[in-house]
Amino acid sequence: MNYKAQFTGAVMAVAAAMTSTAVLAEPGAWSDEPVRIVVTFPPGGTSDLVARLLAQQLDTGFGQKAVVDNRPGAAGTVAADYVAQQPADGTTLILSNNAPFTISPTRFKSLPYDPIEDFTHVAYIGASAPGLFVQPSSGITTLEAYVAQVKETPMTYGSSGVGSISHILGEAVDAALSVESIHVPYQGSAPAIQDFRAGALDSFYDMVVQNSDMIEDGEAVALAIASPERNPQLPDVPTFREQGYDIVIENWVGLSAPAGLDPALRDKIHETVLAVFAKPEVQAKLTDLGITHVAMSSEDYEALVGELIGVWAPLIEAAGIKE
Amino acid sequence: MDILANFSQGLLVVLQPENLMYCFIGVFLGTFIGVLPGIGSMAAIAMILPITFYLDPTPALVMIAGVFYGAEYGGSTASILLNVPGTPAASITAIEGHQLAKKGRAGVALFSTATASFGGGIIGMVVIALLSPFLAKLALSFAPADYFAVILLGLIAASAVSNGGALKGIAMVITGLMLGTIGIDLTTGVTRFTMGVPELRDGIHIVIVAMGLFGVGEVIASIRATRSGTATQTVDYSDFYPSKKEWKSLFAPILRGGAIGSFIGALPGTGQTIAAALAYAVEKRVSPQRKDFGTGVVPGVAVPEAANNSATQTAFIPTLTLGVPGSPPMAIVIGALMIYGITPGPRLLTEQPDMFWGLVASFLVGNIMLLILNVPLIGIWVRLLNIPYKYMYPTIIVLICMGVYSLNNNVFDIWLTLVIGVVGYVMRLFRFEPAPLLLGFVLGPMMEEHLRRTMLLSRGDPMVFVTRPISATLLAITALIIVFALYSTARTHRRALAARLGSSRKEQPNEL
Repeated sequence: MNYKAQFTGAVMAVAAAMTSTAVLAEPGAWSDEPVRIVVTFPPGGTSDLVARLLAQQLDTGFGQKAVVDNRPGAAGTVAADYVAQQPADGTTLILSNNAPFTISPTRFKSLPYDPIEDFTHVAYIGASAPGLFVQPSSGITTLEAYVAQVKETPMTYGSSGVGSISHILGEAVDAALSVESIHVPYQGSAPAIQDFRAGALDSFYDMVVQNSDMIEDGEAVALAIASPERNPQLPDVPTFREQGYDIVIENWVGLSAPAGLDPALRDKIHETVLAVFAKPEVQAKLTDLGITHVAMSSEDYEALVGELIGVWAPLIEAAGIKE
Repeated sequence: MDILANFSQGLLVVLQPENLMYCFIGVFLGTFIGVLPGIGSMAAIAMILPITFYLDPTPALVMIAGVFYGAEYGGSTASILLNVPGTPAASITAIEGHQLAKKGRAGVALFSTATASFGGGIIGMVVIALLSPFLAKLALSFAPADYFAVILLGLIAASAVSNGGALKGIAMVITGLMLGTIGIDLTTGVTRFTMGVPELRDGIHIVIVAMGLFGVGEVIASIRATRSGTATQTVDYSDFYPSKKEWKSLFAPILRGGAIGSFIGALPGTGQTIAAALAYAVEKRVSPQRKDFGTGVVPGVAVPEAANNSATQTAFIPTLTLGVPGSPPMAIVIGALMIYGITPGPRLLTEQPDMFWGLVASFLVGNIMLLILNVPLIGIWVRLLNIPYKYMYPTIIVLICMGVYSLNNNVFDIWLTLVIGVVGYVMRLFRFEPAPLLLGFVLGPMMEEHLRRTMLLSRGDPMVFVTRPISATLLAITALIIVFALYSTARTHRRALAARLGSSRKEQPNEL
């Protein structure tokens, strides 16, 4: 009886030792179970592609099995609520972004989760910036000419939806330039751009790098980009900031976990994710998606999410999309 | 020849082993589902939807398309052998087909439908190849006002010519429109009619409504109408090929059916059933054998089959070039494309030429596969009708649930599908057609979106609808359809009234 218990204990200890060595043997793995990266969008979008890139890199380069789990719906709040309720053991992560973390807290009357308290924000990945595009036939090539034109006759602008980043940027530009333009929401940027090309829209807001073909082909004029600095891929497009308007609105992605993640585990994941995105070929893929990678500590990232809620709040209120 | 070059490019795409395989899976599954009485292509789509998430857009589209036209081939089998249409459109085929089967000529009927389906499919394919590039060019200049007019035309056409009568059709379209308003309002961001249920914030997914109404509803209806014992007709292989005279009599009906089907299919809002019914009605008037219609004639099975198959294919024209789905299955195609980040519209042809022309070429490949599946291998499908439904239907329900769950990984969606399925079944009992409802559900939100967008762009001036030539023309056609529908309803009413009066007058002398 006693022997048997001892024996079982010994087997378990050996098994435990073997599993932990197995974990330690892999260069960057933090769990011997496959990790799920929850994405707030359906398959196919930029976020999904980033998550798949990360999952594939974790698997091949760091021995950490990872799968992508798409849980779209209700501006990303469905996915965030789900992740908040999962165990904080590093096996469930969310590809965090503006919608559920910095826009929804202001936009919706009540949220089933707290974007700061219920999460451990682990790693910032990078951001892409939207900008303002006008018709080449309008003859407008500068922000000043745009302001002059809009003050005379209000222009229509297309966005990728109510409460989308392009809509909020449109509202922010209207406020900063003290003009009033007419917002025309679309479902995603593709139909907005189609109407712009058909001549139905005067202007539109969308991610700048993704539309570099239109700029090069002379189908649209990019007046300004909402990033802090010019994008190296499009050095000719000026920022709002350098033209005297302090508008910085970026579409960022990061990796977050449920609250209460062990700090050592958090550091381990953070370190691995940074190592993934430090690879030049991975950065090149991010650049193709229009995302500029920035390395940031977990503390800075967590602080950034909190700070952005405050930055977005007045913009969301100005956009009139509060529930 | 630009089109020929594009087409051969598409053929190269579809002849890649992977695409060939998915084309085959599509047409095979389509035939399988089509053969089963009462279960249509919508249920088949739900079953393969989870697979399509893991494919590239081209094989996924090729496979989904294969299911649709494969189901039309298979649908005729059940309608000929059992007089139970496998798909709604095949009910027209049953009129002559089952008479032929009763005469012991089921083999000839099956052979003729397969041949006619093939002919119709090829006609539809040629129409797509010729018409789409032209329409796409035209659509490049489409403004929201023009889209609004196209969709309105589709909705009016769908309700005016619905099978259960115009009034019920309109009621179903409006029910669909109302269901479509659930969720976040696209123009203001306000949530509407969600009753506090967070899962409803994004509205009800098209697949859920489609699966509930068609998949679940059809299964319940089929269980209730159990016909165990199934196929009593056997196919006599010695009398499989039509006589020389019948061969000759097939040719003209296939051409006529294919032409009518292509035209009806390309209109948004109308579908294969209407195409088949109209083609049959026309044939009944122009055929040299018109006197024998109703007793089982070969042209009578050929014409609806050619029409429904060509309509199934030309339905892709408005779907892919305008992004306006012409029928409920096409709405699923659009949904599937959106998952890949591809927005169907006028630029699809130039931005995704391999996908578009690959799809067109797959119609040729798929139809050849179907000809092989449905002529030499017809015996397999006939035997399929003998599989006990107690195994078949639960399997289908399970597959539907899996398909629905895979959309959002959400159990709520399964419950919603089952509830809609029961409601859909009850509506069926009262002869309310689910198709117009689904079309209203899909097109309603699109119509609202384009209407409000038009008003925003015109700064509130409704005159744009009549000053833009495209929208003005489409609205004029819509008005004509309404006038025609009112006129024909009034006429049938008057006739019915006259008939009733006439018969009562005849009875009077007897009473006296």
